[in-house]
Amino acid sequence: MALASPLIRAVCVEANEFPQLSNQFRVRGVPHTVINRKASFVGALPERDFVMAVLEGAGVTMDEPHDEVSGPSTEISA
Amino acid sequence: MALIPEPVRQQLKDRFDTVLTGPVHVTLYTKPGSSRLILPAGLGCPTCEDARQMAELLRDAAPEKITLEVVDVSRDAARVEIDEVADVPTIAIGSNSETGRVRFQGLPTGTEFPALIDAVERVSRSEHGLSEESVAALAELTDPTEVLVFATPT
Repeated sequence: MALASPLIRAVCVEANEFPQLSNQFRVRGVPHTVINRKASFVGALPERDFVMAVLEGAGVTMDEPHDEVSGPSTEISA
Repeated sequence: MALIPEPVRQQLKDRFDTVLTGPVHVTLYTKPGSSRLILPAGLGCPTCEDARQMAELLRDAAPEKITLEVVDVSRDAARVEIDEVADVPTIAIGSNSETGRVRFQGLPTGTEFPALIDAVERVSRSEHGLSEESVAALAELTDPTEVLVFATPT
C-alpha cells in the first residue's frame, strides 16, 4: 500500500518486542492494524476493505458506500 | 553465530538474482553495541545486532542492487526526527530516491521474514500488487498517513 501511495508509511511492528506500544494500542491479537494512531482493526481484511479502513482512519470520506464486512475481526474502532 | 544459515543465504541470492530488477535502499536504524549491555528499559536494544545481520544479509544477497545504510540513532538525532523513526531496530526499505516508507520495527523473524523479502522484491520491481480500484481510492488521501501493523513471528 505504501508503494501505491507516496503519502502512506507502512510499519510492521514486532508486537512482543515493543510491549509498551502494543499496550498503548491494546493489541490482543495479530494482525492488529492502527491508522494514524487513532483508528484500528484486528484481522486480515480483504484488499478492498483494508483500503477503505485506511481511508476511513485517515479521515477520507468516500462517496461510494462499501459493503458491510461480516466476521468477528473486522470492527473499526476510533 | 550466524543468524541466517548458509543454505538460506544462497537461496536468497539465487532468488534475488532472478526477481530483483531495480535498486533498493535499505536503511537500518540502530543503536550499535547496545545488544550485550544490561541497561534500563528503553535504553538498550537487545535485537539490534541481529537486525544488523539481517540487513547485511539482504545487501549481501544482491550487492549490485541493494545498498545498505546504517543510522546510529544515538548519534544522529536529526536524522531520526526527519525520517520519523519511532524506535530501534527499524529496517526501512525504499528506492534510492526517497526515505523508505515500508518499515519493519523490531526483528522481522518467523512469519515476518517472508514479508521483509517480499517488501524488498516489491520495491525493486515497483510492484504494489493492488487493484486499479484500490490505487484510485488511495489517491483520495491528502495527508501523510501512517499504517502500523502489529504482528508476531509465530
